[in-house]
Amino acid sequence: MRRLAALLALVLICAPAAAQTGAPTGPNVADLPAGVAEDSITVSSDYRGSSVTVFGVNPDRQGRGDIVVVVRGPTDSAVVMRKRRVFGLWVNGDPVRFSEAPTFFAVLSNRPLRSIASAQSIWRYQLDPAASAQLASAVPATGDPSAYRAALVRLRRAQGLYQEYSGRDAPDRPGGLTMYEGGLFRAVVRLPANAPIAQYYADTYLFRDGRLISAQRIPISITRVGIERRIHDLATNFGWLYGLITVMLALVSGWIAAFLFRRT
Amino acid sequence: MIYLPIAEMPVNVLLILLVSGGVGFLSGLIGVGGGFIMTPALIFLGVPAPVAVATGASQIAATSFSGIMTQTRRKSVDWHMGLLLSFGGILGSVCGVWLFERLLHLGQLDLIVSLLYLVLLAGVGLLMVRESYHIWRGRQAKGVSILRRPIKTIAHNLPFRMRFPRSGLYISVLPPLGIGFVIGALSAIMGIGGGFILIPAMIYLLRMPTNVVIGTSLFQVLITTSLIVVLQSAATKTVDLVLAALLMLGGVIGAQLGARLGAGLKSEHLRAILGALLLAASAKFLWDLVIAPTEQYVLRGLW
Repeated sequence: MRRLAALLALVLICAPAAAQTGAPTGPNVADLPAGVAEDSITVSSDYRGSSVTVFGVNPDRQGRGDIVVVVRGPTDSAVVMRKRRVFGLWVNGDPVRFSEAPTFFAVLSNRPLRSIASAQSIWRYQLDPAASAQLASAVPATGDPSAYRAALVRLRRAQGLYQEYSGRDAPDRPGGLTMYEGGLFRAVVRLPANAPIAQYYADTYLFRDGRLISAQRIPISITRVGIERRIHDLATNFGWLYGLITVMLALVSGWIAAFLFRRT
Repeated sequence: MIYLPIAEMPVNVLLILLVSGGVGFLSGLIGVGGGFIMTPALIFLGVPAPVAVATGASQIAATSFSGIMTQTRRKSVDWHMGLLLSFGGILGSVCGVWLFERLLHLGQLDLIVSLLYLVLLAGVGLLMVRESYHIWRGRQAKGVSILRRPIKTIAHNLPFRMRFPRSGLYISVLPPLGIGFVIGALSAIMGIGGGFILIPAMIYLLRMPTNVVIGTSLFQVLITTSLIVVLQSAATKTVDLVLAALLMLGGVIGAQLGARLGAGLKSEHLRAILGALLLAASAKFLWDLVIAPTEQYVLRGLW
């Protein structure tokens, strides 16, 4: 029993640490001056997505080095299935599970990521969505693990949940990273309305000659407010009551309609 | 534009009102519930299928309650039969919601819903086209003749018989329970009321007199869909209150207008057009299932 309690305590201590995966780890963490214009985004009934602006200053006096900004949503498990033909019909089969996949991931850099950081660095600091997805289940014998990983990224990219930009933003591109005189930089990314409502992080990295020099993590909270929040909280915490309220609404509107149209 | 709290997407209020009003209008005109048009229409508008199915049930509850308010004044509900059908419906919808949740978990809900709609839309479409063709040819439509209903059905031979005074029947309780069960399960999975299956079943299988059929079927649909809304809210959390309110508003008004207009209108042409439309929709479902997809992989993530 005592051992169980000790184990539980250990899990509790480790849990926050595990939740922090993807955070920049390096020798000079958190000494890159950066900030977010929208550190708290509210979702009300007129929410149609939002944008996140990250700005900062390259601490190097000569302005050497490259900036990479990653806006990360919470990670969640995801399942990718492949369509198979069964009796002439295409059905979903061969599921492959990812234990951790970012629900939102936008990476912005002043020039192509591959020329800023090595492939090892991209994997180590999880700078692209494919590197952030953790494969959890065995891939079927006929399948290819990298194809599943690529499919996950492709599908989420099509939904606007994974975005990659190098260079400055333009009228035809919803996001980008712009460098200004004096080492100032600004990254803009569009958060679509279907991006999950949760705690986000903007991570800013300074690379020089392919090595990480410094980094900074800034939290961005997205929360529901007003009636959106009330409805959502009711639906998640009191499902039965929420259902009953919906039924009552149905009965009342049905009754009103019958009443109104009888008189006229 | 309004942001739906459960579907987590913004929708155009006017568009949803127009679609639900249009579907309500059609259903009032033709005299069917319209869930089998509403749910695919919502899916087509980009509402996730589970939300469309579960939320559609609340709109059907509103329409059927509105209908029942009018029907009870004419004393046209067989309460005994209605309760029995509802009891079957309750069991069926509990199983249906459970199955819905399992299929959602297995990533096969879209497939099953597509297959069921394919069969259903093709079936109803064919019946409508055939019926209006017969009326157009000046013949008595076979599908609606009361005189042709068989004298005795299986319902009269099974055990556990019971008297239904309002319908003037003495039949086994098993067939109503079974019918209710099937309708309840289909309701939960497909987001339909099931009146267009229930009504023929009551006439041909149970031999109920036509003057109590509509009121009684509305009663069963009301009980079943209300329960489904509560169960889906508790189990799958896919009922969107804001979307439901919009659907009710559009659907109920549309249905009343349609019923008003339909009373003085010959509907066989309209039935033929709607039938053809349903056949086309089922062909689209078939096409999507048979043709090789351009994207081989699908996500089973948030929905």
